[in-house]
Amino acid sequence: MTIPAQVGGRVRSWMNRPEMRGVFWIWAAMTAVLVVFSLYVPARLMGPPASPTMHAVENTMTVFTVAASPVAAAVWSVALYSLLAWRHRGSGQPETDGPPIRGNTPVTALWLVLSSLLCVFLLIWGLAAMQSVTAAAAGRVPLQVNVVGQQWLWSFSYPGQGDIETDQLYLPIDQPVVFHVTSKDVVHSFWVVQMGIKIDANPGETTVTNVTPNKLGTFVVRCAELCGLLHADMEAAVHVVSADDFAAWARGRRSPPVESSPPK
Amino acid sequence: MSEAMVEFAAAPPSTGGGGLLRRLNLLTAVAGGVLFAAIGWYISHRIMQLGDFGSDRVVTITLICWALGFMVGIGAFAGPLRWLLGRDQEHEDEMFLAGKDQGIGRYFRFTTDHKVVGIQYLVVTMVLFAVGGTLAMTIRTNLITPNSGFLGPQTYNAVVGIHGLVMIIATIVMVTGPFGNFIMPIMIGARDMAFPRLNALSLWLLVAAVPILLSAAFLGGIPTGWTGYAPLADQAPPGMDAYTMTIIVFAMSSAIAGVNITTTALTMRARGMTWSRTPIFVYGVVASVGLAIPAFPMFMSAEVLLGMDRSFGAQFYVAAGGGSPWLYTNLFWLMGHPEVYVIVLPAVIALMEITPVFTRKPLFGFNVAVLSIVGIVGLSVMVWAHHMFTTGWAPDLNGSFMLTTELISIPTGLLFLVIIGTIWRGRVWTTLPMMAVYAMLWNFIIGGVTGIYLSDVPADYALHGSMFVTAHFHYTLMGAGLTGAIGALFYWFPKMTGRMINKRAGLVSFWLVQIGFNVTFMGMFAVGLAGQPRRVVHYDHLFAVGNFVSTMGAYCIGVGMLILLYAVVSSWRHGAVAPANPWGAKTLEWAVPNPIPLENFEVLPVVISDPYGYGEGDPVLPPTQRELVPVGAPRDPVAEDDTETSQS
Repeated sequence: MTIPAQVGGRVRSWMNRPEMRGVFWIWAAMTAVLVVFSLYVPARLMGPPASPTMHAVENTMTVFTVAASPVAAAVWSVALYSLLAWRHRGSGQPETDGPPIRGNTPVTALWLVLSSLLCVFLLIWGLAAMQSVTAAAAGRVPLQVNVVGQQWLWSFSYPGQGDIETDQLYLPIDQPVVFHVTSKDVVHSFWVVQMGIKIDANPGETTVTNVTPNKLGTFVVRCAELCGLLHADMEAAVHVVSADDFAAWARGRRSPPVESSPPK
Repeated sequence: MSEAMVEFAAAPPSTGGGGLLRRLNLLTAVAGGVLFAAIGWYISHRIMQLGDFGSDRVVTITLICWALGFMVGIGAFAGPLRWLLGRDQEHEDEMFLAGKDQGIGRYFRFTTDHKVVGIQYLVVTMVLFAVGGTLAMTIRTNLITPNSGFLGPQTYNAVVGIHGLVMIIATIVMVTGPFGNFIMPIMIGARDMAFPRLNALSLWLLVAAVPILLSAAFLGGIPTGWTGYAPLADQAPPGMDAYTMTIIVFAMSSAIAGVNITTTALTMRARGMTWSRTPIFVYGVVASVGLAIPAFPMFMSAEVLLGMDRSFGAQFYVAAGGGSPWLYTNLFWLMGHPEVYVIVLPAVIALMEITPVFTRKPLFGFNVAVLSIVGIVGLSVMVWAHHMFTTGWAPDLNGSFMLTTELISIPTGLLFLVIIGTIWRGRVWTTLPMMAVYAMLWNFIIGGVTGIYLSDVPADYALHGSMFVTAHFHYTLMGAGLTGAIGALFYWFPKMTGRMINKRAGLVSFWLVQIGFNVTFMGMFAVGLAGQPRRVVHYDHLFAVGNFVSTMGAYCIGVGMLILLYAVVSSWRHGAVAPANPWGAKTLEWAVPNPIPLENFEVLPVVISDPYGYGEGDPVLPPTQRELVPVGAPRDPVAEDDTETSQS
């Protein structure tokens, strides 16, 4: 009963000091600005997500930026306040020294505890997100797509669909897809930009990643690992289509192409 | 400086044997290097017929011979050779090696005086930044529009790789080289480094590595980025051999410097300078070079294996031959992550050393700062695979590496607490060095927070390999690292050169560099989030605005750095003469007179307190100064003037 009252009294008398009030208001204003920035800017810059994975990544970006806002504001508000209130205005060395404060155990402990809690939160958030990304693919039998990178193009094949080979990716919407990725020469990185997945294509190894596209449209695969001369040109289109359209496309690619017969 | 030259002309040093040794300098070193390289090339290409004019074996042997010849020509082997012959250096030879009573010439030879080595490091760093910065301007010019066509893809890739490696080497040495060598020994009250000859050796190995690195430009460039990932590196032109040789020579240089600086700080501190009285900058320097000692041998082995792959088909990294690209990435990042702290720690801690001086307050939480440094050093060797989340190597370890990476944010956060705690209620004296502290507080927060996104495994899957990563590490290495180094230069310039830096030019350059820097890399964050990959010669029109903004910011940095160069060169030549202690600081380097005598201290100081006693006791004669000031040096920092210093 008395200890909380004492602590409360100390905090109150602390908050009555002019520098504490000044820093507090600057901190509150900065935090508010940064939180608004966090809610609107990072996710918007990343563009509309085309998969639950990308949606989760954009959430992470927003939440982490919000969580970082009060910390960044704490450092910057003290810095700004010190320039406004404690700046020595004169050309030479200040005539007097500042107060000899060699440390402050409660403040240090508070800082340590808060930053540790924040760190634990980030870790749990990250592990949960990792879990949800893998769990999302566990429900249904995924569509397997084999991806081969080589200097400087991507090729895709569908082992479950009669080994169709193509240089553009076709995926049915809302169907889990598992990519088996490898390379013929150097290391490439298979990056479906709007779906938020990326895995290296290594020569002699097969790496695996998965995603469930949930948005119709055309997206892009880029190479994210410098792979030589035409690295910048190593792109491929990704078409997310309805299940029926996908089945029709796969049928068309399996049977001898109808379009190639001479028109009447 | 001119005074010293007059003295030299009046009283030439007596020649006491070893006449040849005394004629060796940078010119004979270059001549030796060229001669050895020509012989190596002739033997490997013509006599042994190991390969064509520019083949990997011939290039490698030629570059090894260059390095050997350069070191012979500078006189690096003279000491060990005499010792092998049963004769050690005489006192007079030692004095000659230390550059006693010599003019400007001592900066161009194998001089052991730590102050000369520090200045040499400073000049080499500035040359490297000039080269790397010019290449950065070239890269940004190419990226000004989506398809500028300014550089072809081959040239572009070569330029990106050389820019990366030049800047990495420059930033690694930028604080521990100039200030670790010049300032740190005086700061701990020593007369020189523990191993002065190793000190000169580490510097001249670095100098020998620079032409090797630049030769890559004429050998097809480094088309792999600075990371040199195999097996792309296996198919790269002979510029890649220059890369491997650069790293091998540079790793030797940094290992030698690391051993030397660590030993000096451990064993040569003045009497009474206990660990709790040792200035925090010494901790920063030791942490940096101490991390380099285990890190760089990893890099060296990675490059030795790569060289064997390239020259002899060893296939360490070629999957078809039973090798693995993941071996390279592991070895590389085992060096690569400690390496970022090798760069950032001493720079940030230099600013931490500066903060008490310009707030006139003791350092807040000295023990907290020391423990944070220890924590960062310990954790930094356990985080390397966060660079490898997307490689597919051991995905089950991703969670652990996410943990260790996020843990580093705790000690790093405490470093911020120490600095803002020191600023708290201080008498903030906003000089150029103090402005660098504020700039670092802004930049390093942004660099640190964006690093947390990248430590999160799912977010890293989306962001890895994009411009976001490029912007993030420029915020840490440049926004915190280079800003810290520039702050340190502003701070110690009066002690190192005896002149005050031109404040107006310094201010203009500070604002241009900081504003340009933030514009450049904010634009880069935006295009990275939108999906622009790194290291692309052209890009989608989607990213046009952000890249244009980045390029404009980069030009702003370029102009600012040129003005900084002007400020340094002009102030060095004819700036106002600096008093011995212009900032009223309490560390030992400010207690020695300008110009600093050859062995720094006539009488070695005895330390009775830490150097942060601002506001404690008599302000005119603080307790530290009472015992620390050596005989004959000015005792009172406040009442000091120019006439007093020129007498000493």
